[in-house]
Amino acid sequence: MGKKRVINTILVQVILAVLAVIWLIPIVWLVVTSFSGTDGMNTSRFFPETWSLRNYTRLLAEPDTVAQFPKWFMNTFIIAVFNCIISTAFVLMVSYAMSCMRFKGRKALMNMAVILQLFPAFLSMIVIYFILKAVNLTNSHIGMILVYSGSAGLGYLVAKGFFDTIPKSLREAAYIEGASEARTFFTIVLPLSKPIIVYTIISSFLVPWTDFVFAKIILNSGVSTDWTVAIGLYNMLQKNLLPHYFTRFCAGGVLVGIPISILFVIMQKFYVEGITGGSVKG
Amino acid sequence: MKEKNEKNRTNPVGAFFFSIGAFLKEFVTAVADGDAGVKASLVICGAGYLKRKQIIKGILVTLLELAVILYMAFIGAPFLEKFGTLGTVQQAMVYNPTTMKNEVNDYDNSLMILMFGVISLVVLILAVILWMVNVVNNYKLQKRAEAGKHINSFKEDINRMLNEKFHVTLLALPVAGITIFTVFPLIVMIAIAFTNYDQNHMPPTALFTWVGMTNFKSLFTTNLTMTFGYTFRKVLCWTLLWAVLATFTTYIGGILLALLINSKFAKVKKFWRTVFVAAISVPQFVTLLLLRNFFANTGIANTFCANIGLTDLLKKLGLITTNYIPFLTDPVWAKITIVVINIWVGVPYLMLIATGVLMNIPEELKESARIDGANPFQIFRKITMPYMLFITGPYLVTQFTANINNFNVIYLLTQDIYTTTDQKLAASNGKEIDLLVTWLFRLTNEFYNYKMAAVIAIFVFIICAVFTLIAFNFLIKGDKEETFQ
Amino acid sequence: MKRKMLVTVLCAAMTASMLAGCGSTSSNNDAASGSSATGTEAGAPASSDETITLTVWAAEEDQDFTKGLIQKFEDAHPDQKFDISVGVESESKAKDDILVDVEAAADVYSFASDQIEALVDAGALQAVNDVDTVTNENIATSVEAATVDGTLYAYPESADNGYFLFYDKSVVSEEAAQTVDGILEACGTAGKKFGMVYASGWYNASFFYGAGFTTSKADDGSTVMDWNKSAGNYAGTDVAQAMLDIATNPAFVAVTDGDTSNQINSGEIAAIVSGTWDAVSAKEAFGDNYVATKLPTYTCKGEQVQMGSAAGFKMIGVNPHSEYVGWAMELALFLTNEESQAARFTEREVGPSNSVVAKSDEVLANEAIAAVTAQNEVGGVIQEVGDNYWESAKSFGEILAQGNPDGTDLQTLLDNLVEAAVQPAQ
Repeated sequence: MGKKRVINTILVQVILAVLAVIWLIPIVWLVVTSFSGTDGMNTSRFFPETWSLRNYTRLLAEPDTVAQFPKWFMNTFIIAVFNCIISTAFVLMVSYAMSCMRFKGRKALMNMAVILQLFPAFLSMIVIYFILKAVNLTNSHIGMILVYSGSAGLGYLVAKGFFDTIPKSLREAAYIEGASEARTFFTIVLPLSKPIIVYTIISSFLVPWTDFVFAKIILNSGVSTDWTVAIGLYNMLQKNLLPHYFTRFCAGGVLVGIPISILFVIMQKFYVEGITGGSVKG
Repeated sequence: MKEKNEKNRTNPVGAFFFSIGAFLKEFVTAVADGDAGVKASLVICGAGYLKRKQIIKGILVTLLELAVILYMAFIGAPFLEKFGTLGTVQQAMVYNPTTMKNEVNDYDNSLMILMFGVISLVVLILAVILWMVNVVNNYKLQKRAEAGKHINSFKEDINRMLNEKFHVTLLALPVAGITIFTVFPLIVMIAIAFTNYDQNHMPPTALFTWVGMTNFKSLFTTNLTMTFGYTFRKVLCWTLLWAVLATFTTYIGGILLALLINSKFAKVKKFWRTVFVAAISVPQFVTLLLLRNFFANTGIANTFCANIGLTDLLKKLGLITTNYIPFLTDPVWAKITIVVINIWVGVPYLMLIATGVLMNIPEELKESARIDGANPFQIFRKITMPYMLFITGPYLVTQFTANINNFNVIYLLTQDIYTTTDQKLAASNGKEIDLLVTWLFRLTNEFYNYKMAAVIAIFVFIICAVFTLIAFNFLIKGDKEETFQ
Repeated sequence: MKRKMLVTVLCAAMTASMLAGCGSTSSNNDAASGSSATGTEAGAPASSDETITLTVWAAEEDQDFTKGLIQKFEDAHPDQKFDISVGVESESKAKDDILVDVEAAADVYSFASDQIEALVDAGALQAVNDVDTVTNENIATSVEAATVDGTLYAYPESADNGYFLFYDKSVVSEEAAQTVDGILEACGTAGKKFGMVYASGWYNASFFYGAGFTTSKADDGSTVMDWNKSAGNYAGTDVAQAMLDIATNPAFVAVTDGDTSNQINSGEIAAIVSGTWDAVSAKEAFGDNYVATKLPTYTCKGEQVQMGSAAGFKMIGVNPHSEYVGWAMELALFLTNEESQAARFTEREVGPSNSVVAKSDEVLANEAIAAVTAQNEVGGVIQEVGDNYWESAKSFGEILAQGNPDGTDLQTLLDNLVEAAVQPAQ
């Protein structure tokens, strides 16, 4: 029995190691290429021939017309912070109303939300673009923030699932003590909801870092300092730029990827709780 | 529980019309039986409140009324007037050398007319409803006053907004946001499906107009010059096949990986989990663009395959005709590569979720099965899998619709790389590997064929909606939200 | 004016959060709005107190050069205040971004000549005011390419945007470079490759134009083409068969559009059909053995046929929606005048369209530019096609590049191509 166990353990570990290698190959390629001494893509070797930090130094310290990484990072960061504040507020507000309150039309609104999410989102982007243009908000941070956070309320389901698990008795006790609904929301429910608040904050923070569809159409001035990280990096891989910027693209990918990975690892627990409807403990 | 569901299902359409009828009746009663204040509120909305000394509320309501009337008169009406034709005056420019500027005529911009026409219609409908509600409220107020009941001061009204009406306060801004950025663009896009808005009719230079159902017809026509029907059929088939493949490969893969990591034989579980999570946490556009170069015809994967002789082997077997493996450029190879890469992208997510669920399967269930002599496979089939399906059912459904709309994987992997070899597809700007969404995206983004894109989007919606409805009816038993409260 | 009012009223009506953003300015206002500027006669713009705000889109690699020229332009008008910013937009993709919203596009932008029809249709090009200057200073073919339906719509900037042949003379002898067969044989012997873009209607038309086939654009925006019939001695299928024969030769590699310089850099290529934009890469890769010359002949129905080409030009266009359209035209004229074109050649090795500069000794000595000129003389055509041509021609080329894997009848392929291309733009 003992021997069989050892064999099994080794077998499982080996399988896992092989899978892990498969999953990590692209990431490793990203990282090693970012330290390459050349500019273009090396198609004959996995590891670069010469190692250098110059992709990072050029990306961070020597912006040119194509690569404005520090600027992009700032733009994206500003948009992300504001998006995160507004989106989180919207999501929590909608979730509380849908989960903890009972009013006429609640079910109807929830059904509406489900239906709305079935439409392909970027279908409407051209209309959104012209709406923003009508109020002069294209090519601006405010416009981008509005686009990302405007409809955030639709993504209330995960947070609602969490609020559903907060015992009703807690709120009822508060009402009996004469607390208003608003007071209950702020002093009873919110303090109990840290995990879901963290989850909402992180996931809304990540949106501007990964979207290139909306950003590309709304930030259309052609001036590269206006861009976000996602369009900037996407642009670097245009065929005529790729030979000169591929390794810098990788460096940019690493620089964006690291903080996001960290946030993501923090978030994974809440992600699971959200999807499984809060029915999972730990 | 069951009873409750039954009740919810009693013909919602009928209930809807019934409530409308009730409301109209209420309105008529209010107008007929109301006193002078209520009747005056038909014209000046705040009149009733003013009469009952609700000064601030009265003024606010009247101001709102004024704003709506001004909007309709100055902005809404001119647009609504042209809404039927979407404009008739084409733009004309004349260069004036003296001022060094172009002089432009007072032209119509069809898209603006469409957009603001829709806005104005919505405002108009809302305004009428609010106006009726307001009259009814005024009547209720009159009744309260007659019955000698307390009439709220403005401060008390505000207080109500933080108490029993707190949901109104909470929902106001988010719903406004959703209306502006989701609902309203959707209505406009649906309207575009009935116009001829395309590259030859692009405002501001040209006008577009209503064409009825023409675009829907062309989506189902295949003839000498029109291949939308053919392309739609092909793309739809692949979209559905893709959604099934993508959803189930990642689902099964994720569960298997989770079982592996959580098996009693695995060591350093946390480490393995983090490795897989780390792989997917780099933004998708980075990893996918990277993989697309990795698997390019002249990319590193091909170099590797050529070096180990795989390319030659495949060539001898007749699986490829080229000197490289067309990972992302041959219809069949590309589809396989895309599904495989999607497994790479999707499995870690599923692994996370499956891990969470697996840890929560009541140990007693498995234990009793073991005592009954069930082997591990039977336990998996009889206990683990049903439990898993029960918990992740809704997720599976949303995942399926998300995959129908999975833009990133297909677009980032094949854009600018893949060229179709099917001439009928090329004639309607489609590709073998296109999903409905990527097709419609390229139709708008590269070919400005907004009308067809809108039609396709409507079909995407119908497909998703039908599937979701059926799936939810099958999968989701009971209303979970009440169980915990 | 109406729009302006609308914006103001709307702003007021929007929610508070949106109000905050209304102050932010956009570089583009409606052409009709704005206060009137004082000006005198055309051609000699009088300065005004207004600051002239313009946006210029230039290609990635031309950024610094363009900024330099703009500085010169500003210096040439010392009495006028300017605020000119430069954005990035590649010439080959200008259309894609401009058509989304013509009003938001740059005031002055550079584009490749094959997009001119689409841009004119979209109302994205201002008819040139100073026709005489442009016509007199530039070579006739570039002016012709900038003219649509008798109106001059753009300022020719370069005349070298066509394709020709680069080769490595250590692999391919000068004699071998005269025919595709010779090149393929030489490459095959040396274990090198001959590359060409097949999946693009711009490149693969070369074979057809060479054999005497034509394309043109009808009034309704559809393409008129005869490729599925016969022209002179050759049937369309003969040409397609010739293309297929080349594609299936093991020494041939079908290059993806836009990927040519990567291919040259890879070192496997000994000969490639490309343009001046790859001259630097080719020089680097082939070293002293670098040669640029006209396209070879190919074997069609057993005879040698000179490959034709779609002559290409880069042009500068002015957006009619620009608020300062007059100044934008001044700037466009300046960016394409003799001096600027000469500077562009010296600094960027771009072949001038200006007739004086084109005849200067330095330009004549440039091998790549000489190759374009030579190619244009033996078979350069200004390609006129409708919108539906491109995707179909691309797909057609890809099928042949892959060696016609399904074995479809060539006549059917051509029929399908023509059928799709001739349908009016929907």
